[in-house]
Amino acid sequence: MERTAIAMICDFFHPNVGGVESHIYMLSANLITRGHKVIVITHSHPPDRVGIRWLSPGLKVYYIPFPTIASSATLPNFFTFLPYFRTIILREHITLIHAHASLSSLAHEGILHSHLLGVRTVFTDHSLFGFDDAASILTNKLVEAALRNVDAVICVSHTGRENTVLRAQLFERHPVVASDEPLRPSQYVNNNVYVIPNALVAERFKPDPNFKQTDTITVVVVSRLAYRKGIDLLVATAPRICAAFPNVRFLVGGDGPKMVELLQMREKHLLQDRIELLGPVKPNDVRSVLVQGSIFLNTSLTEAFGIAMVEAACAGLYVVSTRVGGVPEILPEDMISFANPEEDDVFRAMSEAIRIVSEGKHDPSQAHERVKSFYDWGGVCERTMRVYDAVLKSQPRDFWTRMQRTLDLGRFAGPIFLTILVVDCLFFLFLEWLMPREDVDFVRIDWDQERFIEVAHETQEARRGRRRLG
Amino acid sequence: MPDTQWEKVLWKSQPFPDNYVPDSFLSSLRRNANFRPYSYWSLVLASCAIVQQLAVIFIFLAIFVNLKERTLDPRILVWLSIGAFMLGVTIWERLDYHKFDSLSRRNGCAKIAKSSILVFLALLALSPVLKTLTAATSSDSIWALSSCLFVLNVVLADYSPAAPLGMVRERLTSVLSMNAAISSSVVLASRLSDDASVFALMVFSVQVFALFPILRHRLQATPAAVRVVITALLAGSTILLALPLSIVVAVILCATFMFVTFIGPCVLFWSQKYKNEIRGPWDVAVPKVN
Repeated sequence: MERTAIAMICDFFHPNVGGVESHIYMLSANLITRGHKVIVITHSHPPDRVGIRWLSPGLKVYYIPFPTIASSATLPNFFTFLPYFRTIILREHITLIHAHASLSSLAHEGILHSHLLGVRTVFTDHSLFGFDDAASILTNKLVEAALRNVDAVICVSHTGRENTVLRAQLFERHPVVASDEPLRPSQYVNNNVYVIPNALVAERFKPDPNFKQTDTITVVVVSRLAYRKGIDLLVATAPRICAAFPNVRFLVGGDGPKMVELLQMREKHLLQDRIELLGPVKPNDVRSVLVQGSIFLNTSLTEAFGIAMVEAACAGLYVVSTRVGGVPEILPEDMISFANPEEDDVFRAMSEAIRIVSEGKHDPSQAHERVKSFYDWGGVCERTMRVYDAVLKSQPRDFWTRMQRTLDLGRFAGPIFLTILVVDCLFFLFLEWLMPREDVDFVRIDWDQERFIEVAHETQEARRGRRRLG
Repeated sequence: MPDTQWEKVLWKSQPFPDNYVPDSFLSSLRRNANFRPYSYWSLVLASCAIVQQLAVIFIFLAIFVNLKERTLDPRILVWLSIGAFMLGVTIWERLDYHKFDSLSRRNGCAKIAKSSILVFLALLALSPVLKTLTAATSSDSIWALSSCLFVLNVVLADYSPAAPLGMVRERLTSVLSMNAAISSSVVLASRLSDDASVFALMVFSVQVFALFPILRHRLQATPAAVRVVITALLAGSTILLALPLSIVVAVILCATFMFVTFIGPCVLFWSQKYKNEIRGPWDVAVPKVN
């Protein structure tokens, strides 16, 4: 694949911390080391994170001055991003945008505008959504509209793909039936929906080489303490486990609304000496928390991928998790025990895990080596580049097809989004007149990784030379 | 096609492209898994509660008009209210009969008597104030305001049947609903000419908007026949009260009751065939805690 200029667009990026944020950063960094040009477009974080910043290794980040409404997401309004978007795409000579996260309105807008500039689009969906409440009905319609004309979709797990295909209706609604045989899914599901998992930097999650197996077994929980993370199950099972296994202690990292319930549970069962609550844990400190234990417990009620479990397994812990979302796909059966999201079953799975660990059947260093071979960013990057390549080689949809596909959205949504599409074009023409392309301040010098290494070497040499002289 | 079987795992590198769609795609999708279709008559029965609430509001309005036109003596209304209160308390006691022993029942009776006398006296003392509270507002505003408040009352009222055991748990919306109706009667009371009428109207409004919903909640657990009879009685008396005032209103009321009882459930029953509930592994699981 030849050198491509890619723009990552998402509401969620550094300085925020999270799965999506680190995914975008790691993917961009790997693309840059493979010689591509990558920029990130996100919203600003006043007062100090504004304007254009550079992140190592040569990742340029545009912080667009948009106010956020909730959980760092901007208000979906379909048009106001276009002036910024047009200028950035033109001056950076971008040929492909990669939008992330289905609740990010910047990502949706990017997909809507990019055809005006002949830019191709890829979208990555990071989360799972239900279908049965008003909020998900509305957001699912927005996602469906945004993904109507996208060139490729990437999901982080097979379950995530099933979910996204249903939510965004990424299948042929009226497939041509050639014979009486029932249709196979591959015949009607769009062939531009890919599954590429997340990855992790295995070197950052090495097991502790000085770890000694003692009688005490430490169970580690690192999670946001919220309802969706199943903290109710933890509150219910922890006292039972402590009562049944006198050699087990808990180490809980994270903060959230359910902290109070954990504290109450600890007090009620007098377990202050056996359940340690660490409070919020910084991403850099996660490993040091993980390596103190030998079992990782995850009680999430929904999870698209579950990177925390992969990190724990990589740090040499045996994993116990609820069987939800994409979790059953991430680790082989002998590294993880599954439980249904029920108190009794979590207790059963934990007892099983404690038995496995206390009998010494789980080898941390071997687990680390195995996870290292499962997931790595290099592989993810190669697979993503294959998607980019397929997108860049495919034929773009013409405007008339786009309009027809948008109209197919539904009786009400179709005309609304068609209007948005057409008004967006008119707005674009207006911008072409207001801010002619000749006046755009084009970027002439890009970050050159090789030149950077050279300069770094020269500086080092010069410094060494000076020291020798002095 | 490679010989190896595709597996739904991410940790293994498989000889399939990333956009490979296996035949097992969406095999864990379940449609209408816990769907229990309604039967038409159960919906009709459930709609009785709505008819009762509507009927009570229109009975109240008819009585208000009669008071305003001075065709009803406020003293009769006060006695009627007291009678209705006694009847309601008796029914309530009958429904609660098997739950409490005699001692706590006697205590309960004393409590009810005490608080009802308090409310009675407070209303009596406050009626001159209530009468002049919104007297300066023009009648048009009063009609508009009170109809808005009554709509709010109907929309927010709690129509669910009482839990089989335990006390009635008040929801925020049902409290709001009661408040809307009482405020509406306060603003209407300012259109009446004398303090006695205001007092009678307020006593009646406390009866029908504060106490009746609680009783109705309980009545919904009674056999279907009882509910049907009560609904029919209320709807019939509404129409009887409305007839002398305006035939058009009576006809509209009749139509509304028919619509709510028979046509509304019919629409809901018919629309069930469009039900398409999708469940799958991506749904947020419900934790089961003992």
